[in-house]
Amino acid sequence: MSVLFKTLGFSLALTLLFTLVTYLLPQVKGEAPVEKKVDLGSLTMEDFIAMGDDIFHNKGTCTLCHKPAPLGRAPDIEGGDMAVMAAERLKDARYKGEAKDVESYLRESLIDPSKYVVAGWGKKGSNDSESPMPHVDKPPIQLSSMEIDAVIAWLQAKDGNEVTVALPSPEAAAEVAAASTGGDAGKAPAPVATAAEALVKYACVSCHAMDSKDILVGPGLVDVGSRLGIKELRQSIIDPNAVVAEGFTPAMPSDFASKMTVKELEMIVNYLAEKKG
Amino acid sequence: MLQQTLITDKVGAAHWVLALFSLILMSSIVLAVKPAYAGMGSAEERIAPVGEVRLQGQPPAEIAPAPAELETEDVDLAAAPQPGRKDYPNIGMSSRAIVWVLAQMHLFFGALVLAVPLFVLMIELVGVYTDDDRYDDMAHEFMKISLTGFSITAIFGGSLTLALFMLYPDFMGYMMHVFGTQVLVYASLFFFESFFLYTYYYGWNAFRYGNLKWVHLTLGLLLNASGLTIMVLANSWATFMMAPSGVNEVGAVVGNIWEIMKGPLWNPINLHRFVANIAFGGAVVGAYAAFKFLSSKDPETRAHYDWMGYTSNFIAILAFLPLPFAGYWLMAEIYAYSQQMGITAMGGILAWLFIVQAVLIGTILLAGNFYLWSGMSRTEGSVRYKGLIKVIAFVLVVSFLIWVTPHTLILSASEISLLGGSHHHILGPLGIMPAKNIAVNLMLIATFLSFQLYRRSDKVATVRWAPLGNALMVAVYVAAVVNIIFLGVYYGYFTNTVYKVGSSVAQVSTTLVVIVAGLVIDTLMFKKAKILPSHWGRIPDRSQYALFALPIAFTWLMALMGYVRSSVKTHWHVYTVMKDNSPDNFIPTIGYAGNMITLVTILFLLCVLFMFWVANLSGSKQPQPAAGGKA
Amino acid sequence: MEQDNNMRIGSRLLAGLIAIIIMLVIFYGLDHLVMGMQGLPLNLDLSPAG
Repeated sequence: MSVLFKTLGFSLALTLLFTLVTYLLPQVKGEAPVEKKVDLGSLTMEDFIAMGDDIFHNKGTCTLCHKPAPLGRAPDIEGGDMAVMAAERLKDARYKGEAKDVESYLRESLIDPSKYVVAGWGKKGSNDSESPMPHVDKPPIQLSSMEIDAVIAWLQAKDGNEVTVALPSPEAAAEVAAASTGGDAGKAPAPVATAAEALVKYACVSCHAMDSKDILVGPGLVDVGSRLGIKELRQSIIDPNAVVAEGFTPAMPSDFASKMTVKELEMIVNYLAEKKG
Repeated sequence: MLQQTLITDKVGAAHWVLALFSLILMSSIVLAVKPAYAGMGSAEERIAPVGEVRLQGQPPAEIAPAPAELETEDVDLAAAPQPGRKDYPNIGMSSRAIVWVLAQMHLFFGALVLAVPLFVLMIELVGVYTDDDRYDDMAHEFMKISLTGFSITAIFGGSLTLALFMLYPDFMGYMMHVFGTQVLVYASLFFFESFFLYTYYYGWNAFRYGNLKWVHLTLGLLLNASGLTIMVLANSWATFMMAPSGVNEVGAVVGNIWEIMKGPLWNPINLHRFVANIAFGGAVVGAYAAFKFLSSKDPETRAHYDWMGYTSNFIAILAFLPLPFAGYWLMAEIYAYSQQMGITAMGGILAWLFIVQAVLIGTILLAGNFYLWSGMSRTEGSVRYKGLIKVIAFVLVVSFLIWVTPHTLILSASEISLLGGSHHHILGPLGIMPAKNIAVNLMLIATFLSFQLYRRSDKVATVRWAPLGNALMVAVYVAAVVNIIFLGVYYGYFTNTVYKVGSSVAQVSTTLVVIVAGLVIDTLMFKKAKILPSHWGRIPDRSQYALFALPIAFTWLMALMGYVRSSVKTHWHVYTVMKDNSPDNFIPTIGYAGNMITLVTILFLLCVLFMFWVANLSGSKQPQPAAGGKA
Repeated sequence: MEQDNNMRIGSRLLAGLIAIIIMLVIFYGLDHLVMGMQGLPLNLDLSPAG
């Protein structure tokens, strides 16, 4: 019995010692990002820059990697002048991106970091061709375009340089509100930029052959522009069951109207209108 | 002659049983998997009405089959659900806390019951080759004391499943959708594991000698195979949550089950858990041996349990030595998958945790070494190593202190202004990885040296080249220490990050060279060595507390690492794919985690005590009361 | 006799020294190999190349 007590006592004491160690350390809670309401009517540039500062240090998780040497896993941002650094990078012979000025360079670095990797900071073994930085507009960081603008504004302002970013407009804000609530955010990633991407995103190509008359599930669309006018093309996407092609059963998804942005719809319609076979 | 025939008959019968069994096994796998690949029949075929009601003269209603196929495609492209806060069931208690406790208990016991059959099989094999009954009896005893553990694992597993479905229905619905039939394969494996477990354990004495012994070993092998498969299947769920593969950006399944399972973290976790389980299992059964040693006064019993304790410690430390390498591989893959996730773990909010880990591993190494040194008193040949042990102890303690030193000091505002910052200018540099890698590798080398000295302490080499062999061994240690320190200091403080990180691989390789060289040289050098007498049971009582410290530290460490694994996903159920919108979607403080970890450790301790007690209960018999009297 | 002992000690020290040098060379090679395998080439003096 005494052996049992000694054993239990020793084990308990050791366990509590470990627990004590955790009490002595800084107690930090890792909060999930919370939706913040921004009143665009009263938003000043100062507020906007402060928002960018807050995003850089919190939601954006930028400071995880962008730290001063020797700890940093990415170039030190807070210690350097962004305008000077951006100008240097743009002049580099290795720069193959599309930015022309400080603002576009910063935006490109956020959204497509592998476009240009600063020498020595690339992923191990990729010879500085691949950046370990995540795409800031995609999960897990998923900054909206308004938040990205705010960060750029702060990056420009913090060194006393000119802020070239405009304050957000109400349209952009609507997009942010839609993207940051739960629910549909997962189902509707950022709108695409070209008709080709839209066709893939909405899986048109899984039922329609684009370059022939072959029937997959729906009719081939190589000559649809010569068969249907703009209005009819639009209707067949928004309300596909209104007019169903002869010999086909109603099978096309009828919820594109609530999923597509107006811009995406127009891109697809214009693209299809060009297809005259 | 008759006995021979009987044995041959039994073997023949065994072969038939095994053949029939494989047939059943294969057909059940095919049956389980087939539905996933046979196309789903159309809705019309499956639910065609037997009769239908319609108005006279009206044509029969048509059920169009085509949309059903399209629906299948739509379903496959379904994104991960995004539940809102109110979609999570609320039972008045933190759902996360409930799942945390159940999951960790399940993992503790799962690790134990996977590990024990592994080294039991090894020990049984050693018993067959050395023809020494003691090994076979010890293997049998290890199985006996862990038998209840299998049920306990299942109990916690079942409760965990129920809790998960009840408290996180959307998440579980998504996971079931992603993994599909694989989950049923996992479930079916428990039938096989139970079959092999019961035949292996209860058939121990029936299949004891000759060909039947090989049947028995095969059963043990198949037990391990089913256990290992169970583990890797379950591991894929955890690694999918951290680094999803086989799904697109919004979580829709776009790959097959292999692509889903074989993410970048799957094999690192498989290796890490496989090796860590062995170390953990060895530590737990070592505690049993220590307890029995302390509880008995009979020298023969004490000798038996001393030997059992030594074997357990040997298994635990031997499996522990390569573990940092497996852990390093896992961290490297995490960094490669997402530098952000990697830094969250080691440079961000969870970084302090790794200081706690240093405390725990330091405890494990110190306890293991202390036990080895205490054990040296079993042999007379150990006296010559007393001086060297003092050196090893010094190296261990200093390395441990370096490992534990944080980079950022916890200071009050006035202390910060006195110091001129939150980093100490001398101790600060000891807080980053290069210093810690030096410390860890030196601790591993020191521990291996303790091992080597212990193994040598009952032998005297008789080969003629023994002095040269020793000179070479010393050279290996000296050169290795020089190399490790050079690699850590030069690449750690004077080159860029990429070379700094890469140098740790070189350090680890150096340690491996020491271990391999030591094993090879000793095997060759002590062939036909003179064996000095050793006395099992001759070890001070206080050494047994090292055998208690080991499983406590291991258990606590396992739970701590579980806290890291879960927290590193931050506010995601499935990283980048399915957000966590529950009330518990924050990373808890380390103090809270410490409380939870201590809770599960104590629970584990109690369950293990129960497990050991039940094992002993089956062997005890209440004496019959004397005739005419009450009991 | 004493001279014998000294010689034996001397030759042992020599053997030990040679062994250490050999092992250092082996580890030097190991460093080059392991760093090279990771895409981190070294110069002859073990400094990072390129």
